[in-house]
Amino acid sequence: MTQSPSHTLSGPGLYRRMAGASIVAQLRYPGTFVIQAIGNFVTTLLSFFGIWSLFHRFGSIAGWDIGTVAVLYGLVNVAFAVAETLGRGFEVFGGEYVRTGSFDRLLLRPRSTLLLLLGHELRLRPIGRFLQGLFVLVAGLWLAPHVQWSAVLVLPWAIAGGAAMFLGVLIGQAALCFITVEGLEVVNVLTYGGVEAGQYPLTMFGRWLRRFITFVLPLAAVCYYPTLFSLAHPDPLGMPTWIGALSPAAGFAFLGVMILAWNRAVAGYVSSGS
Amino acid sequence: MSLRPYLTAFGLQWKIGLRYRIAVVAGLVAQMWFGAVTLMAYASVYHAAPDVQAPLSLRQAMTYTWIQQSLFTLLPLGCLPAIGDAARTGAIVYDLLRPVDMWNWWLSASLARLLGNAVPRAVLLACVAGPLAILVGLGAWSLAGPASLISAALALLSITLGALLSATIVMWWNILTARTLSPLGSYAVGTPLAVLLSGMLLPLPLYPDWVRPFLLAQPFAGITDIPIRIYLGTFIPGGVATGLGLQIFWLTALTLLGRLWMRQTVNRLEVQGA
Repeated sequence: MTQSPSHTLSGPGLYRRMAGASIVAQLRYPGTFVIQAIGNFVTTLLSFFGIWSLFHRFGSIAGWDIGTVAVLYGLVNVAFAVAETLGRGFEVFGGEYVRTGSFDRLLLRPRSTLLLLLGHELRLRPIGRFLQGLFVLVAGLWLAPHVQWSAVLVLPWAIAGGAAMFLGVLIGQAALCFITVEGLEVVNVLTYGGVEAGQYPLTMFGRWLRRFITFVLPLAAVCYYPTLFSLAHPDPLGMPTWIGALSPAAGFAFLGVMILAWNRAVAGYVSSGS
Repeated sequence: MSLRPYLTAFGLQWKIGLRYRIAVVAGLVAQMWFGAVTLMAYASVYHAAPDVQAPLSLRQAMTYTWIQQSLFTLLPLGCLPAIGDAARTGAIVYDLLRPVDMWNWWLSASLARLLGNAVPRAVLLACVAGPLAILVGLGAWSLAGPASLISAALALLSITLGALLSATIVMWWNILTARTLSPLGSYAVGTPLAVLLSGMLLPLPLYPDWVRPFLLAQPFAGITDIPIRIYLGTFIPGGVATGLGLQIFWLTALTLLGRLWMRQTVNRLEVQGA
């Protein structure tokens, strides 16, 4: 396709083009893609089998029915899968951009660095986690008592908030790479560890952890409270149920804070050289 | 036959494992996070159902989780990274040219890699989750001691067999990598299998009763589950002898079949690169 030099792509148009190229590239090796997606699906499905086994043996998950736990589990996994799909560029940022110095090249382009890094790769592999999460979520809605019609609106809203929050973590992790150069695996505590913590009801944790995943990382706001709202389940900790309809906004607020941090970090960037 | 080349291969990979001290600390933080989330979840599940007779007491489930977390890097999650690189670049031909037994050569490197990663992490986490946790007043959540001196000695023997078994399974991933010319497949298959079947996800004794015999009989149980059961002094059908017997059986079977598969693979190996 030829284009006149004066013609420039808009931001979304550029992203579409980059994402399209990334998808074509990943489907070039269909065998690898299928194996990885199946591996991803099986891993996450088996991890729900673990929770189900606890339920099977003890009759409940600390007093919670399996339907509610399944909704929580599905919600956090779907949200994380979306963030993983979009945010691959931030995940590999330290090793592939800062250490090699190729971030300098991105800075020369007349587009936002965030957009360019989002376009690094639209990763298809998390589709395994996504489908499995969706499957468990639907099964949970089928099993749980008192499912509200409003769930049709609140759950997608919660997934969006959760995806924004996890994307925020990935951006924050990338911003840290300006200091640490290499990626810090400790941040996995917030991503994979967040998924692990988000799939259990908040009441199961001690106070310090509850506070952490409510106020530092707004995990409860994007999983626990929207689930309670969708299932009309009163909160044993005493929060009003309606809070769940609003709380996913906290995920977007978290993303906003991380973008601010990113912009500050970029402003202070010193290249590691070529 | 001289042992020296194998010891050299072992020594090299052992040192690589010890090199990344920051990774060890990062791993420690991640393991403590996952350990804490899992322990709190188990504690509230157990407390909510005090009448259920589980095959592991809460205290035992906690100890099981801590040991499992500390031995995470001992699991055969994928092929030896050096072999993955060699398969991709074609440098694997150098390994074929060496006047050594290739199985033993790769096995000693794989074993050293596992131990070099796992030993420092295990010692560190055992200190934090054991004595340190008791000192700061978290004794109820700590790593409990072995059931008796004899079970400690037997567990040490069993974990040695477990490490060998794990390295043997890594050998299977290595051969898979040499066949498919990419390490990705081995990780896609190896990680979910190892995490689920070793008891990392949920202690194997806590799965529903009808799958427990199968879970005990499969090879991954021999890596960490059987040693931990011996350490805790919990029930194994037929006693400790069954546990050790299963480990030796799988070690022999996987070695013999693996050597056969390797010979067949090497004979028809296609090498990439120039």
